[in-house]
Amino acid sequence: MSAQDNDKGGHDDHGHGHGHGSPFIQHHYDDAQHQFDSGKLGIWFFLVQEVLFFSGLFVAYILFRHHHPEVFAYASHYLDVKWGAINTAVLIVSSLSAAWAVRCAQLGQRRGLIACLVITLVCAFGFLGIKYIEYSHKFHERILWGHRFDPCVASGGAHLPNKSNQCDGVKSSVVWDFKTKKADRGCLDAETGYDWEPATPGIQARCQVAEIKIGVQGNERREVGRRAIEMCEAAAGHGQPHKPVPCWALVENRHVCPKGPAAMVYYGDKAVRTDVEIEAVCEAAPAPAAPEDAFAHAADRPAPGQATLTRQAPPTKHDLQVAWSNGPPPQNTNMFFSIYFAMTGLHGLHVLAGIFVYIWLLVRALKGHFTPEYFGPVDYAALYWHLVDLIWIFLFPLLYLIH
Amino acid sequence: MSASVDNTKSFLEVSPGIRNWLYTLDHKRIGLMYLCGILFSLLLGGAFALLVRTALFSPGLTIVGQDWYNKFFTLHGAVMVFLVIIPGIPAALGNMVLPVQLGAPDVAFPKLNLASFYLWCSGAFLLLLATALGDVDTGWTFYTPYSLESQTAVIPAVAGAFVLGFSSIFTGLNFLVTIHKFRPAHMGWFQMPLNLWALYATALMQVLATPVLGITLLLLFVERFMQIGIFDPTLGGDPVLFQHCFWFYSHPAVYIMIVPAMGVISEMITTFSRKHIFGYRFIAYSSVALALFSFLVWGHHMFVSGQSRLANMVFSALTFSVGIPSAIKVFNWTATLYKGDIRLDTPMLYVLSFLILFTIGGLTGIFLAVLSIDVHLHDTYFVVAHFHYVMMGSTLVAFIGALHYWWPKFTGRMYPEALGKLCAWGVFVGFNLTFLPQFVMGSRGMPRRYWDFDPEYTLYHRLSTIGAFLLGISLFVVVCYLAWSLKRGKKATQNPWGGTTLEWVAPTPPTTFNFPEPPPEVELYDYDDLVEVPNANEDGVTNWERRPATGKPAKAHH
Repeated sequence: MSAQDNDKGGHDDHGHGHGHGSPFIQHHYDDAQHQFDSGKLGIWFFLVQEVLFFSGLFVAYILFRHHHPEVFAYASHYLDVKWGAINTAVLIVSSLSAAWAVRCAQLGQRRGLIACLVITLVCAFGFLGIKYIEYSHKFHERILWGHRFDPCVASGGAHLPNKSNQCDGVKSSVVWDFKTKKADRGCLDAETGYDWEPATPGIQARCQVAEIKIGVQGNERREVGRRAIEMCEAAAGHGQPHKPVPCWALVENRHVCPKGPAAMVYYGDKAVRTDVEIEAVCEAAPAPAAPEDAFAHAADRPAPGQATLTRQAPPTKHDLQVAWSNGPPPQNTNMFFSIYFAMTGLHGLHVLAGIFVYIWLLVRALKGHFTPEYFGPVDYAALYWHLVDLIWIFLFPLLYLIH
Repeated sequence: MSASVDNTKSFLEVSPGIRNWLYTLDHKRIGLMYLCGILFSLLLGGAFALLVRTALFSPGLTIVGQDWYNKFFTLHGAVMVFLVIIPGIPAALGNMVLPVQLGAPDVAFPKLNLASFYLWCSGAFLLLLATALGDVDTGWTFYTPYSLESQTAVIPAVAGAFVLGFSSIFTGLNFLVTIHKFRPAHMGWFQMPLNLWALYATALMQVLATPVLGITLLLLFVERFMQIGIFDPTLGGDPVLFQHCFWFYSHPAVYIMIVPAMGVISEMITTFSRKHIFGYRFIAYSSVALALFSFLVWGHHMFVSGQSRLANMVFSALTFSVGIPSAIKVFNWTATLYKGDIRLDTPMLYVLSFLILFTIGGLTGIFLAVLSIDVHLHDTYFVVAHFHYVMMGSTLVAFIGALHYWWPKFTGRMYPEALGKLCAWGVFVGFNLTFLPQFVMGSRGMPRRYWDFDPEYTLYHRLSTIGAFLLGISLFVVVCYLAWSLKRGKKATQNPWGGTTLEWVAPTPPTTFNFPEPPPEVELYDYDDLVEVPNANEDGVTNWERRPATGKPAKAHH
């Protein structure tokens, strides 16, 4: 053990002494065992503290799930079990390597220790990488918390026109054709397999909800854009106050929009009757004549109310039924994502902290600080890492595996 | 021993210089630095209290309107709770005393201890930043949903409280491990001074309760930044959940304040009665019992927050049961006084004040635990008076008393005794004058946190304001003469009060590792062979020495 390493273990006031074998045994401890035992007790108390720190979120989870089981059952399908399961496996492997690192340190196997620390670090980075993929997908689809919950897809995968019409930067939406029972047009992306594509600006404008008339004929109010959607929700909710029908079911083009004193509002294969006259108008906006126009040939240009399929076959009726069978998101679905992001975010921060700890351990291991007499930090870090792992093992079923 | 540090000189004299203080790992220096910060905060919080009381001197507009009034009482509460009372006894006095009472050279994790101190400083800075940025008006409880909407500096205040919480957790963790692992071989659990039992129970609560506050404040913080919606009812969140989580910490926090106060009272009452503590085990166990109960009664803060009737009844019943360990302590202290050779030095005056004020504070707590009465008294001055009797009348009075008790040991100087006694009376009279009228006006319906009031309450408010100024002046004088005594006070002896715990065996002030040689085994609370030696040093200060006949020669280090 070289003398210049002394600055790691000691400090000004408490020099090293007592003839300890390792320079990292601090002066105020009786011996190496005393230091190790104290540190071990300390880390256990710290872990108790950590458990209680997370407990607040688990209590919130229990409370919200108890109050809104339907939200959790519905929203859980937004999560990708595949990624969750892979991450579980990654963390379990890292826990194994963390425990193995302790054994290597105890036996003085420096190379083994370094290898185990590296494996643990790689797994930790892998976990965060996968979490990044999941998070970025959620941000992309606006499956977020609070007011930011404005999903572009329904739980299960089908795309929804969202309220702010900002999915993927594309102002577009799927329009459900009540007659053909097919999605009429939209801008679904390649990920889901429904590769609908006129995603050009001209078409986007056409896909917007242009106008909705609400009220008695001759005395109706015309509303446009977001306000229209809110009105249309309110109107739809009028028939079934406890089952507000989201706007996407009402989005309709003028050719098929039912007119009259009552409108039929559909979602899935159910119909809800509303008592107000609703007219959703989907005006065709002028398509730009720019060269990048996807429909350079006039013959290819879709007429209003039609979509052009460019790459794949349209989704079958079955596809859409499966995709939309969960119906529209229940009220307060955003609560699930509040909990989801709070819990996984806090857990992710703990993984990040663990990465810093393991980098520090790796540096010290490379310097040869750890000996069979002094390996406490490896042991304490492994205990912390197991806790982080364990919390994930609770989070995975609680968030991903709800049926 | 090849220690790089001189362990024969006083810790105050070894390695002088501001840098050596700021980087110190010596628990006593860290404790003294805490003490400076805490006394400063005490004066600050006290100033806010006097502003509140001045504003309430007369009905109608006095010095400030409602906005400033809200900010004053919020800052008074936040500063006093988070910066003064919670860290007062454990972090400042506990840091200084705990390892010495154990006969240990330091706490288990000296670096963590220093880190806790700097966390405390950061938290304090954030709270003061909130003051500078235009204050906070939510009350120290930060109840949602108002704290989500308030346009004031809630974010730095919440961040400050969050950071302070972790300071508290790490201090508690350090103390737990120190008490477990640094007791000398001859000191079993029941040979520990009662102060250590109290600090142990406190540390348990700090480690178990504070993280819940941490996550609650973190969520509030995230809620304000990102509208995550856990507590916001407009997003489907639950504001009452905030109250549950908040009080799950903040009720234990009240016990984090009071239990260490009970510990120092136990030490002082036996020393100044020259009599073995009565019911050692009962006092020890009741500290742990209080720690346990503290986790089971948080709902009594929420009797009118829409809890279920069943929950209210359970919390009410559990709250009554808190009276049992509290009463056990009071009875045992009283029994310790019985036939004691009571010496009315300044610390003892504070002890006797504590006994009276804590009894009033505790009993009025029983009133509030009654559901029907609580509905009437909730959010009135009765509640304000009740918790001030416990938090200030008990904890702060015990803190000031203990500060006088250990001041000679850790600074090596005596405070001026006559002035000390005068101020102790000033505190006692001023405190009662401030808060007894508040019981009366509270029970007559004066709501708390109001900036204005009906003229029928004018008399009570005026008495209260006058008392507050007497109290404030007394405490200010205490801080002044303590600072004065650092240079001018009489030199202290090794054992000026005749205490029996290990710190009185250590030199005055202790050396860096507290004891130049391993400390002897002491007979805890055994006063029989301690003899008073008047004029033991050049300044004429008394010392108490073990009678040589017992085979335990007095250790003279002064």
